[in-house]
Amino acid sequence: MNMDAIAGLPLKVKNLMAVRILLVDDHPIVRQGLRTLLEGRTGWEVVGEASDGLEALDKVESLKPDVVVLDVTMPRMNGLEACRHIQQRSTPGVEVLFVTQHDSPQMMREALDAGARGYVVKSNAARDLLEAVDAVSQHRVFTALARGPQVSC
Amino acid sequence: MKLRILLADDHEIVRRGLCALLQKHEGWEICGEASDGREALEMAKQLKPDVVIVDIGMPNLNGLDTTRQLLQYDPHFKIIVLTITDSDQVIREALDAGARGFVLKSDAARDLVSAVEALQSKRMFFTPRVNDLVLAGFLDKGHAISRNEPPNLPTLTAREREVTQLLAEGKSSKEVATLLNLSTKTVETHRSNIMRKLSLHSIRDLVVYAIKNNIIQIQMPPQFRNTTETTLV
Repeated sequence: MNMDAIAGLPLKVKNLMAVRILLVDDHPIVRQGLRTLLEGRTGWEVVGEASDGLEALDKVESLKPDVVVLDVTMPRMNGLEACRHIQQRSTPGVEVLFVTQHDSPQMMREALDAGARGYVVKSNAARDLLEAVDAVSQHRVFTALARGPQVSC
Repeated sequence: MKLRILLADDHEIVRRGLCALLQKHEGWEICGEASDGREALEMAKQLKPDVVIVDIGMPNLNGLDTTRQLLQYDPHFKIIVLTITDSDQVIREALDAGARGFVLKSDAARDLVSAVEALQSKRMFFTPRVNDLVLAGFLDKGHAISRNEPPNLPTLTAREREVTQLLAEGKSSKEVATLLNLSTKTVETHRSNIMRKLSLHSIRDLVVYAIKNNIIQIQMPPQFRNTTETTLV
């Protein structure tokens, strides 16, 4: 949906589309890049940032985001472990979307097995991220390796 | 007049982050963005930026060879290298290539503005680890960083390094020829010369050489990584 179409919607509908996002990546410059991309979307809010898996678990607990955008390779606790913990704690409604440099079907499988709802490759994040957040925030699966995206219910 | 900066990184998300960081600084503008070294060369020649920021691990032409070729074209280019690691070898190569700034990607949000300011004032900017290594070079000749040190392996020409990177990235001789605007036969000659000079016997050997010598960089899944080390972007 384009920005003009969203701007024309009644406030009640726009609020329904509001998405609260937690960004987790150990590189501040990547978080900044993801933030500028996501905050361009009306109704989406980056509610917090974390630089590793452990910090992410605390922030999920305190901020209760709708979507956690999670890197795989991080210090202290990697994204796969963090994702498993988030699932085990059964934080209601929280969906995990991986944004990673690993353009690999095996890694994607591991991420989905860990409980993630989405998987996007970092080199194509600018192409795929908005669509991915859109999908996972509505509890749909979105996966995209470098060759292109796939969405399923 | 504004300071004009050219950014070269293969990840658009990283370029967005760098833009957001640098554009906050009054008097600076991003005059162009390149997604690999080859594009960076073309854009730098056209746009003549005051500062070029290059990621080391870019496809088609890595940041170190981009730095070498830019300075060969015009020694006045001021270049900051962005890197995921500050190992001795990468530091040595970046200094040798002629970079005036060296910033770890993980610290870019903290250090990059200072690095650009330094180059703007005709100074250099390096991480503390680079400074330590250079100082060690003065104190202990055994660790000296010197352009006169004999290389560990036979030296490849700039063109051979380009061909090495492209072959190690999995491109065929024909694809390399198209990218470099050469004939397939010329690429095959370069390929045989590279293999002979380095005493390599297969493409697998070539890939290993390219990784060991920072010509290409590889991704490592988390289970194979020490969790305390700096991660790839």
